[in-house]
Amino acid sequence: MTGREWSNNIASDIIMLNIVSLGLLSILVGFLGSLTGLGGASILVPILVFFGVPVKEAIASAMVAIIATSSGSASSYVRERITNIRVAMYLEMFTIIGAIVGATITTVIHATYLYFFFAAFLLTAFIKFRSSLSEEYVPAERQDRVSRWLQLKGSYFDESTKKVVEYRATNALLGGAGMMVAGLAAGMLGIGAGAFKVTVHEKILKMPTKVSSATSNFIIGMTALAGVSVYLFSGLLNLTLMAPMAVGTTIGAMVGGRILNKISNRSLRILFFVIVAYLIVQMLYKGVVSL
Amino acid sequence: MTINRLGSGESKLETGISYLLIAGVIISLILEIIGIVILYHSYGHLAISRDAGMFIQGHDFFSFIYQQFQGKHLEGSGALFMTAGIIVLILTPYIRVIASVIYFGWEKNIKYVLITLFVLAVVTVSLALH
Repeated sequence: MTGREWSNNIASDIIMLNIVSLGLLSILVGFLGSLTGLGGASILVPILVFFGVPVKEAIASAMVAIIATSSGSASSYVRERITNIRVAMYLEMFTIIGAIVGATITTVIHATYLYFFFAAFLLTAFIKFRSSLSEEYVPAERQDRVSRWLQLKGSYFDESTKKVVEYRATNALLGGAGMMVAGLAAGMLGIGAGAFKVTVHEKILKMPTKVSSATSNFIIGMTALAGVSVYLFSGLLNLTLMAPMAVGTTIGAMVGGRILNKISNRSLRILFFVIVAYLIVQMLYKGVVSL
Repeated sequence: MTINRLGSGESKLETGISYLLIAGVIISLILEIIGIVILYHSYGHLAISRDAGMFIQGHDFFSFIYQQFQGKHLEGSGALFMTAGIIVLILTPYIRVIASVIYFGWEKNIKYVLITLFVLAVVTVSLALH
């Protein structure tokens, strides 16, 4: 069954949202996604499913909204020269392949699997968040030959310490493999997989935290474009879903980014745990009832 | 030393890409909002529609853009504006890669010309084939 036929089989009255309420919900989700580092789409997809949107349509529409949210926030990091464009271009070779494969899988597999995959991916975000609380950034002691050949290095001005930080990325090939997995999850589940990408940048490529976040944000837009290229004519992209989601999540993320430094880490951690726990339960429940 | 190097060529790329990204997003979101307003004026409600005209349909992204300008496939300018917003959004990272290819070509950085060309080729083929 194609996506077109599949989407036409769903009754319209089961979606308990309109464009305005979805837009407002997307602002709230974009805001929370930006504050917790989860990203808007990871929260929005399960919520859309809760309101009756078919999971494949929710995933495909979220992928489009991600381009807006990621490009909007990537812009300022690029202007401040925190993003490493060479590292991003190198890693994008891997994420786009992963995203195209992932999105293709989503268009053909049964929706039930997607609920469980989504819940499993959220669980990894939960575990990674715990480990990231205890570990500090460790710079690479030496750069491997491939990373050196690829000129994977850079520097940025750190506003908090008022110092120029120079760094060298390493483990280019392993990092590429990690980013392909991140792309696969992103394309398959309609998410940015930002937490996963940042972890690969920090732990494998050994890049500083700020550069990792900024470069990951930049890559997310291109990864989402690769995913969208598969979903584009699959019959899953509904304008009345995409428009409010793109507008809402982008506005919400901009507001969230501005107040991020004013909220305590403890509050953010509690918010993160509550949201992730709820989303996992929600997707598992949907998966079990659809068996 | 690195800062001096970044201060010249690569900073121009970064400034250009930064403006490109933000301009693409702003234009796209404005088109989406105009589309939603027109949709409301046309139908008097803002329900999530499952009408076939509200789903993106076509075979290849580049001919799809051409068809929108021809006005062949969509009824009502609300949907047309919303579609135009989605097209601008998709083109934003796409043009960003083209700009990177040109920049690295200008810098004669062959490695990165090939890397960016690979990204451009994969995305172009995927947009054209799906």
